[in-house]
Amino acid sequence: MDKNTLQQLQAIVGEARVLCDADSLQNYGLDRTTVWTAAPCAIVLPGSIEEVQAIVRLAASEDLAIVPSGGRTGLSGGAVARSGELVLALDRMNKVIDFNAVDRSLTCQAGIITQQLQEYAAQQGLFYPVDFAATGSSQIGGNIATNAGGINVIRYGMTRDWVLGLKVVTGNGDILELNRGLLKNNTGYDFRHLFIGSEGTLGIICEATLRLAPPPQERAVLVLGVSDFPAIMDVLKTYSGALTLNAFEFFSDLALEKVLAHQPLSPPFTARTPYYALLEIEQSHPDSLDTAMSLFEHCVEQGWVLDGVVSQNQTQAKNLWRLREDISETLSFSKPYKNDIAVTISKMPDFILAVDQLTQQHYPDFEVVWFGHIGDGNLHLNILKPDALSVEDFNQQCNAVSVAVAELVQSFGGSISAEHGIGLLKKPYLSYTRSDTEIALMQEMKRLFDPQGILNPGKLI
Amino acid sequence: MKILVAVKRVADYNVKVRAKSDNTGPDLANVKMAINPFCEIAVEEAVRLKEKGIATEIIVVSIGAQAAQEQVRTALALGADRGILITTDTDLESLAVAKCLKAVCDNESPDIVLLGKQAIDGDNNHTGQMLGALTGWAQATFASELTIDGDSATVIREVDAGLQTIQIKLPAIVTADLRLNEPRYASLPNIMKAKKKTIDSTTPADLGVDVAPRTTLLKAEPPAERKAGIKVEDVAQLVDKLKNEAKVIS
Repeated sequence: MDKNTLQQLQAIVGEARVLCDADSLQNYGLDRTTVWTAAPCAIVLPGSIEEVQAIVRLAASEDLAIVPSGGRTGLSGGAVARSGELVLALDRMNKVIDFNAVDRSLTCQAGIITQQLQEYAAQQGLFYPVDFAATGSSQIGGNIATNAGGINVIRYGMTRDWVLGLKVVTGNGDILELNRGLLKNNTGYDFRHLFIGSEGTLGIICEATLRLAPPPQERAVLVLGVSDFPAIMDVLKTYSGALTLNAFEFFSDLALEKVLAHQPLSPPFTARTPYYALLEIEQSHPDSLDTAMSLFEHCVEQGWVLDGVVSQNQTQAKNLWRLREDISETLSFSKPYKNDIAVTISKMPDFILAVDQLTQQHYPDFEVVWFGHIGDGNLHLNILKPDALSVEDFNQQCNAVSVAVAELVQSFGGSISAEHGIGLLKKPYLSYTRSDTEIALMQEMKRLFDPQGILNPGKLI
Repeated sequence: MKILVAVKRVADYNVKVRAKSDNTGPDLANVKMAINPFCEIAVEEAVRLKEKGIATEIIVVSIGAQAAQEQVRTALALGADRGILITTDTDLESLAVAKCLKAVCDNESPDIVLLGKQAIDGDNNHTGQMLGALTGWAQATFASELTIDGDSATVIREVDAGLQTIQIKLPAIVTADLRLNEPRYASLPNIMKAKKKTIDSTTPADLGVDVAPRTTLLKAEPPAERKAGIKVEDVAQLVDKLKNEAKVIS
């Protein structure tokens, strides 16, 4: 960055809030992907929406690309700065601005850590239900920009379902106040929803008004050992028909094996089964657990389920959840090639079979780890790098797998990115899920909000 | 060998318990209840002794409101063979609990009584010791390892100075410390089987025990809230505050 621009940036936010040291550039330049090298020109830490606006205007006049940055827990490279961009990090904008008990809503700045937001809601006797493994680091702005999903989607939906209003700065430097917290507002195009999931390409989300839910009732976690994948769907059908499910997750035995090898956790039961289903049920009724039990009996009689446990206290509930939630972190040691795919729930068994056949046929040496949010039709396919293979060779082979998987996704009418977003990683495959016409419209839309193309260029579209 | 295990129904370890607004006690309405964690460890130890072929029968006993039956059922699901529920609506003191357990010991003649070292609600750490005195049996408290050898047991105890290994004669009272074992999950098939196991119901009066409280709870209030911390600007300010405000250095 030239000295003049640097000085102007410093004039906006203060000298200490523009970082150029090597550690910061490295830290702020990458998300949780491991493919690219960080190379931003500087990091700027604004403290208000006006400062964000001034930075965007300066960047527009200097033709400087901006990468908006939250907790950088993304898995698709959406927050990666690899070619001299300015990283605009929302870290300092982390306050709750307003809470309204009557509206059951809160307004906060975009840089608040998701977990802090959840805790704030809990202190008010309410509940922010979007939850996933990275909430201790991720920020709400990033959650909105990527329409984060997670483990409670089956019950509560995605981040999109909880956003009542947004304040954004567009690539033009305009401040837009979108929807203003209203529940009902039929006054034309709802730009709020364009910004949700826009991955920082249309504007910088600075403030958000979020809807809060009543706190959940007591919850119990069941882990069931399942004989094969189609049986998981039968179990899902059985349980979702009779009980309120907060989550319905699954993982393969290989996923469990990896977690147990790396984490101080006990297996749910001594028998090993090919797949496991994790269910969180809300005990909304005194008989909920009895119902869960008789459904279990039914599933065993049908031969779908081989064994099962239920949490007796909250510690056990947490530890059972860790068997599922720790998978991602555990696998990260072996630099996995990650796919986050969605198909309609009914198509999942055939789809998973087709992908298994594909990998077994062409890549018999690869360890394939399956887990995901079955209740949402969302599968995480992870391929682990064999020790014998170099990272480069492995990535090259995986790219070939990706094309084949994307073709399968397309033929099943699915999505090549269910909740991780497109970023850099999935961009080559976007056309397998979105038509050319759609992509062209998206590009035109971006030009409307960001005519100079300074916001997160190269990402998404 | 017969083992008697006592379990207590307490607020779940993860629940943040609040005082009632009138300060008459903790507010347990709609609070998730569970087996006291140390009692759960005692149950697990008994089940392991049975799996090793040392124990032949495990009897689980709980004292409290009718709802404590849930915790007895859980222990049955974990592997106990039958249950005894001593129902009372009085909030029992440690001595009353120990006397009830003594009466059960008289009826059942167990070789080992396994208890948690203390319950996480009262934190008294009384019952095991009092039961030892009432029965006159050997006692090994704070056990982190238990080995049975014929009519004696070797117990490693967690004491302030480290670990202490003692040998005791059976029958004996053993109270479980945290590191004795890690309790298993209750398996759904076993929970279903547990429904068919018997739970005998009795009362302190039936056992001839007077449970009238000897102490009165005057007031229960939350601990004083901690003041929020501050961030110091630099080392000099930190040293100054440590010296002049906290007065921990000079």
